[in-house]
Amino acid sequence: MATYRYTYCTLLLLCLSLTAPLWAQTGEISKERKQAIDSLALEKVRDLSKYISIIGNKKTAFSEANRVMDRAEELFAPGSEMGVSALNRKEVNYYKVRKYFERLMALNYDRVTIQWYDIHYISDLERQPDGRYVGVVTVYQRFEGTSDDGLKYKDTTKKDITIYVERKKTQIAGRTVEFWDVMLGDIRVTETSA
Amino acid sequence: MKLSRLLFFILLLASSRSLHAQMVDLEDESKLYASSKQVNQFFRRFNGEEDEKGNRYYEGDKQYRSTKLRKKYLGILFDASNKGMTDAVKTDFAKNVLDKSLLLDFHGGNWFSEVHTTFTQNGKDQPITLFMALEKDHLGYKWVIQRVYADMFAPYFARDTMKVGKFLHPLSHELDFMNLRKAFINSDSVSQFAAKSFKPDHLSLFLYEIKKGTLKFKTVNEVKFHFFQIDGWYFELAQFNRPGYNTGWLISSLTKLNTLADMDALRKYLYYETK
Repeated sequence: MATYRYTYCTLLLLCLSLTAPLWAQTGEISKERKQAIDSLALEKVRDLSKYISIIGNKKTAFSEANRVMDRAEELFAPGSEMGVSALNRKEVNYYKVRKYFERLMALNYDRVTIQWYDIHYISDLERQPDGRYVGVVTVYQRFEGTSDDGLKYKDTTKKDITIYVERKKTQIAGRTVEFWDVMLGDIRVTETSA
Repeated sequence: MKLSRLLFFILLLASSRSLHAQMVDLEDESKLYASSKQVNQFFRRFNGEEDEKGNRYYEGDKQYRSTKLRKKYLGILFDASNKGMTDAVKTDFAKNVLDKSLLLDFHGGNWFSEVHTTFTQNGKDQPITLFMALEKDHLGYKWVIQRVYADMFAPYFARDTMKVGKFLHPLSHELDFMNLRKAFINSDSVSQFAAKSFKPDHLSLFLYEIKKGTLKFKTVNEVKFHFFQIDGWYFELAQFNRPGYNTGWLISSLTKLNTLADMDALRKYLYYETK
């Protein structure tokens, strides 16, 4: 019993020592925690990039594209939208995420190539009134669509992706474990001439 | 200057490219690195809080807010195409900022956003400008609509206070203000009966029209920011989506404010206030 109490106390202290500097009383996120969250956010953004490439690829079977759309949708917080504008049209058109994917899949090209620039930019995290954190990850995508009759369209778009960061709890083997979760939110898509 | 900047970003890019970046040509990507991609990046560059790749510096890091780094960044944070901002004014501003170690503070107030939007009313597009500011609320912050300006509301408040117009005579109270009936017959002149100090409040009208269901949001057309955080200076931040290296969020206008009256006058101008 004494050994159990000792182990329990050690574990508790370890948890405290691990979390205290990372999660200060003020709600500030430490450098180390921020870097861990950035990695997690980038992982989700890379998943999204991969899914977009698959959905846009004309060789992807319809059923497979639908399955990938389901997976992609799971990355997002409910109600997330894409706000899309072009160089010659400043007006922003708004689409639900699923609708955006469906439009991408239905594009009338025979060949579509979607490539991603290596560059990304991650903002600081800001706390919202509800206690959740929000950030923005910026990535760039190059799109090229070609028709059999030789018509070619290409553009580069900047994607500013909202990320929501939340501390959640889960039960593992009867114990409550806290962890950080990242969800994607609204995405602003701007055609860029840079 | 241009050549050295190009070289700087190409070198930076060469050092940062990873294997899966092969699909995009080098010059294109160096332009994206050079761009101030988010307002957040403008803040960090202005304050000298990140490296050339956008990785954040933290307190204790050697380069964090270093004058050398800030000086380098300040040079690329202006819209180079605006000849109205002379080199002398930009240098004066940068010197002031660096000598006094002045920083931008996201939560520090004295900056706001001007958002040009389109709403529809009875099927017709109506441009409406929202002035947004950050406000502390519960555990964090949020953007709130601080003011609104709409051309569609402005004509209803136009009045000439210089000439003797229509009025309610000073003994109207003795007649239980029965002359109000005549005052309200002509809706065009009704604003003449309001106090001289009356300031039209477009935000109230805007909320009223939306709640009534007559005004519907359509789109955002343009966003810019106004900064009064640097003592004695005002600058505007706008987004430049164009070819080249001088892109993204850049200072598009810079004005030295010599007196508080200058600042008040400028604020009023930005808010479309007439008095």
